[in-house]
Amino acid sequence: MSRRYWGAAAAVLVAEAALLAWNAWHYDWLRGYDAFANERYADVVSREYRLPSEAESGVWHTPPLWFALAGALGRLTTALGLGHAQRPGQLLAAAAGLVTCVLVLLLARVLWPERPVLHLVALVLVAASPALVRASAMYHPETLAVALATGGVLVAARALRTRWTIGSAAAAGALLGLACLTRAWAVPVLVAVLVVAGLHAWDTRRWMPVATCAAVALALFAPWLVNQQLAHGSALAFNRPPPSGSLLERRPASFYLGPRSLRALEHPITPLFRNELVPHLYADWWGDWALTWDSPPPPAPAALLPSGVVSVRARQAVVGVVPSVLALAGLVALGLLAVARRSLSFALLPLSAAGVAAAYVAFAVRYPSPDGDTIKATYLLMALPAAAVAAAFVIDALRPRGRVWATAGVVALGALVAVQLPFLIL
Amino acid sequence: MTERRAARIGVVCALVVILAQLVVASAWSLGHDDPTELALTRQCLEREKGLAVGPADDSVAASASGGALATVVEGNAVTLSVGRSEAEVERLRSAYSASDPGTRLDLHGRYVALWHREPSPTQRQVTYDCAY
Repeated sequence: MSRRYWGAAAAVLVAEAALLAWNAWHYDWLRGYDAFANERYADVVSREYRLPSEAESGVWHTPPLWFALAGALGRLTTALGLGHAQRPGQLLAAAAGLVTCVLVLLLARVLWPERPVLHLVALVLVAASPALVRASAMYHPETLAVALATGGVLVAARALRTRWTIGSAAAAGALLGLACLTRAWAVPVLVAVLVVAGLHAWDTRRWMPVATCAAVALALFAPWLVNQQLAHGSALAFNRPPPSGSLLERRPASFYLGPRSLRALEHPITPLFRNELVPHLYADWWGDWALTWDSPPPPAPAALLPSGVVSVRARQAVVGVVPSVLALAGLVALGLLAVARRSLSFALLPLSAAGVAAAYVAFAVRYPSPDGDTIKATYLLMALPAAAVAAAFVIDALRPRGRVWATAGVVALGALVAVQLPFLIL
Repeated sequence: MTERRAARIGVVCALVVILAQLVVASAWSLGHDDPTELALTRQCLEREKGLAVGPADDSVAASASGGALATVVEGNAVTLSVGRSEAEVERLRSAYSASDPGTRLDLHGRYVALWHREPSPTQRQVTYDCAY
């Protein structure tokens, strides 16, 4: 790869590091999702070396890895007099967000080694994803889980392209097991990797790698599942019981159909289209549906919501249309290619994204919430690496060759980033 | 199958999915008028909070161009008026202030709430949850 390629990749990563660190430093940690409950969890697990009870933290159902790290780092910096106890947790989330960007670049390189444009486009798309940037500023475990799971997918993809060894299988299993020990949203990714590894074993008649991968992941994650089963009656317990009755009756038709989807481009904030899956999720992915980002903290006493708050989010929603189409197109295309060429490494991305999406919809249906609390873009962040690489694949596959078109592509990508900067930078 | 062909099929599939979503949304828009903020608030209070909602019976609330309603949250009666502009919200606030309501008067966006007693945080939160 040329010096220009490495220079461009380094520039994007340095800019991303600066952006994420700046935001983590300036974002009020209490405005992040479940912030106070996260703090209680981190405090209990790092001070008393035990899991919190249901009364102590509302996120007791979340696996403990990030809380243990954030709590320990917070205690350390507090003891050293280096600032408040939550900042290290936010910086840990930011570091994980940056690592995710690096891993997406490497994943694209493993799948298409000779396609530098594809690598860089994937890197820019993931780095400029509002959902990732927002989650990276919060006192929240989501980005660490995404980074670990993406690391596992990268190791698996590389092994499929070269050779599954016991070492690579153990590494993939360890990363995915740790991801599951951070957020349960990594479980569908683990399942996708095991399915692909199993198919590979079927073809090659070498079962030891997939068995190793599964054993290592389960060795890390199973104790948590057993604890949840024994302590709370379900291995996948959530902080509220599901309502009784059929799954099909838990959500109204508007949840599935999204009748107010058109308004997602014009007024993409709460409470409009609350609990309408597609517009609610889309508005939160590209903007900030629940107004937890750069806006006056609700309630806004004696004041109307400034019009700029709505317009900047509406602009984000419009900007997101093309990348969303490309990501969806790319996942379909990679699925088709995987089948047509019997390529398991290509299958890894659409399979993991589809698994995460299916788990996400099942969760939202199982746990309906009047305030829309169970529909959040960050819950789907686990599918971002696959979506970014898939979108980059479509761009690279369909782009006309030639210097003029290359320049136009760079300008378009730059514009995509530049237009979003006022929203992304706190 | 070439990569270019797979990518083209992928784009067509993605556009079909998005088009289907837009057709559903457009069909719904043609067949329905979007409810007013007050109607959404009434629906939210009744269906999601399980409250009984009735008409507002004070003259200030009756003058709100966005409409008004009355309900009881956790034993505390409240009248909610909806203004259409910042100026109107200010007008409603001034009109209520003449009777010196103190902390019983609460403003939230376009909503002006006059409580029977000073609201607790949870009572106030119920009305904020249903503010559109």
